[in-house]
Amino acid sequence: MSRGTAERVVSAPLVAASHQRRFVLGDRIFRAIAYGAALLIMVIAVIFLIALVIPALPAMTKFGLGFFTSRTWDPVRNQFGALAAIYGTLVTSAIALLIAFPIGLGAALFLAEDARLSLLRGPLSFLIELLAGIPSVVIGLWAFFILTALMRDKVDPFLQHTLGFLPLLKGTPSGYGFLTASLVLAIMVLPIMIALSRDVIRAVPRELREASLALGATNAETIWSVILPYARVGITGAVLLSLGRALGETIAVTMVIGNTMQISASLFASGYTLPSVIANEFTEATGNVYLGSLFYLGVVLVLITIAVNVLARLLIWRFTGSGRAAA
Amino acid sequence: MTRVLIALSVGASVLLAACGGTSVAGNPSTGGPAVITPPAAALTGAGATFPAPFYDAARFAYNQKFSQVTVNYQAVGSGAGIQQLTKKLVDFGASDVPMNATELTAAGGSDAVVQIASTLGTESMAFNLSGVSNGQLKLTPKTIAGIFLGTIKKWNDPALAADNSGVSLPNQAITVVHRSDGSGTTYIFTDYLSTVSADWKSKVGKGKSVSWPVGQGASGNAAVATRITQTPGAIGYVELAYVLQTNMTQASLQNHDGQFVIPSPEGATAAASQFLAVNPTQFSIVDAPGQKSAPISGYSWLMLYKDQADKTKGTALVDYLDWLVTDGQQYAANVHYAKLPSNIVKDDINSLKTVTSGGTALLPSSVAAPS
Repeated sequence: MSRGTAERVVSAPLVAASHQRRFVLGDRIFRAIAYGAALLIMVIAVIFLIALVIPALPAMTKFGLGFFTSRTWDPVRNQFGALAAIYGTLVTSAIALLIAFPIGLGAALFLAEDARLSLLRGPLSFLIELLAGIPSVVIGLWAFFILTALMRDKVDPFLQHTLGFLPLLKGTPSGYGFLTASLVLAIMVLPIMIALSRDVIRAVPRELREASLALGATNAETIWSVILPYARVGITGAVLLSLGRALGETIAVTMVIGNTMQISASLFASGYTLPSVIANEFTEATGNVYLGSLFYLGVVLVLITIAVNVLARLLIWRFTGSGRAAA
Repeated sequence: MTRVLIALSVGASVLLAACGGTSVAGNPSTGGPAVITPPAAALTGAGATFPAPFYDAARFAYNQKFSQVTVNYQAVGSGAGIQQLTKKLVDFGASDVPMNATELTAAGGSDAVVQIASTLGTESMAFNLSGVSNGQLKLTPKTIAGIFLGTIKKWNDPALAADNSGVSLPNQAITVVHRSDGSGTTYIFTDYLSTVSADWKSKVGKGKSVSWPVGQGASGNAAVATRITQTPGAIGYVELAYVLQTNMTQASLQNHDGQFVIPSPEGATAAASQFLAVNPTQFSIVDAPGQKSAPISGYSWLMLYKDQADKTKGTALVDYLDWLVTDGQQYAANVHYAKLPSNIVKDDINSLKTVTSGGTALLPSSVAAPS
């Protein structure tokens, strides 16, 4: 053993030199591939943005920034504005997160923390992954045929009966509208929210948990003041990824939102979202301004998504910054 | 049927045709007019969804007769069909509304494209009211416009009750369902409303998508039909084929002559026969006069380039389209579309005769409309 080591030591410079030569070449090739891949992504992103903006130009020059504040969508008179669709997109996504966040966090804590029902953990994790894998059009079908009738006959009347004094719950429920669309979105983002939050919570170091428990904290206190603060960056990430999914979801929302270009305080009213308008109208959109307006909606959607991502970065920086300061 | 016999009797010429030539043979058994055996070709078309069931049935039947010709049709919507034709990605486009001046300019000028009427459809007012059966509800142009403008909000509105004595109309809100996707169905319906209602014409107008004063949108005839079936008190305009296939209840509609008719393929043909001079710029046949006319009817159109770059393909294409507007019309009835009136078939064939390749007409001048 020692002899072998000695030999290797003796020949080491030679071996290293040849290694290095091969290594340098391999390194260069690898670097070129990696740079190429990175460059390709940038090229694709730039081409995509250009290809989105160029067809949108006729609408951009005609409507300018007024596009964002007009709620008119009249293909006959060639007058277009995105406000109602922006409103619908933001409202349905926000309500979906409001519904999905507590449920998702609760389920994630249960899956990551509670050992007593560990028998349930396996099947539950499997079910969540199954839910994540269901194509949105299938969820849309289910919502279209079953959920809408359920909302119209049971859920909406119940809400109106108990909380009907709120302006949010006025009007005649038809089963189609903001609330149903939000619920569908909540169902669709739940698996992401649960799976990501669970992994983040599991990654909290064991020592922190044990230290907290050793200091006499209860389970709930440990979760509240040790685990959640530690995991909040990751949980924020999970929420923003869910938001990204909700903003862009098209088909399932189109099937239940009612497709009406209007802004209404009532959650029972039907509305429209940016992706739904594009999906509904592009096949028959003739004329540069009409088609351009649909592309303009696409630009708006991309801008909203970018804004969400920037917000996510800022939040994470802030959290990690203050986290370090506290430590 | 004659075509099959001819195809068999001139089997040898099929081989020639497969080499790219065109063979014309007289009918040996009856001495009838010359008939083309089309050369081998794969044709692609794209466009309107409204006539897609008819096109699918017809192209299948044509391929059974002439196995050397395959026809593909993608129901991607009229707008997309026109764009794909303009970019020459497909051999023919299909649209429920003929290409307009702007679209024709983009395609190379008003003379560059030949447009022919391919089939005829009509629309129903489908509704969901318990206790009111098929055809029992009577709607007039005025009440239909009122419902879609939002001035008639309840089923027991006096305007509706006046036309429906003997029918118990409930004190229930009317839920209007319309198409959310751009569609020829919507164009024909809003064309009808613009024709019968000055209010509609000035406030909304006609188009494949419009700014609806009331109601909810659903994507496609099938979704509109489902939503009406699911929602008590709902009403909407649905392509007749879907209404018949799904046994929905539909209203009797008052036509231009004041008669109440239940929309049917025969009603569509009756309406179409009232308009002798239909062409790609004058194509509206809504609110037709005539006792039996179904009021919300319209043609669907096919477009192809007048100058075909590929002679073989062009020959197969005009032969297929010639067949589609003549013998192929029998497949329309199976899927609840109406046969083209004979004057339109004649116009179509004359239009097809103007299609050329390298200056030569592709459809033999001997081809004529069946009498």
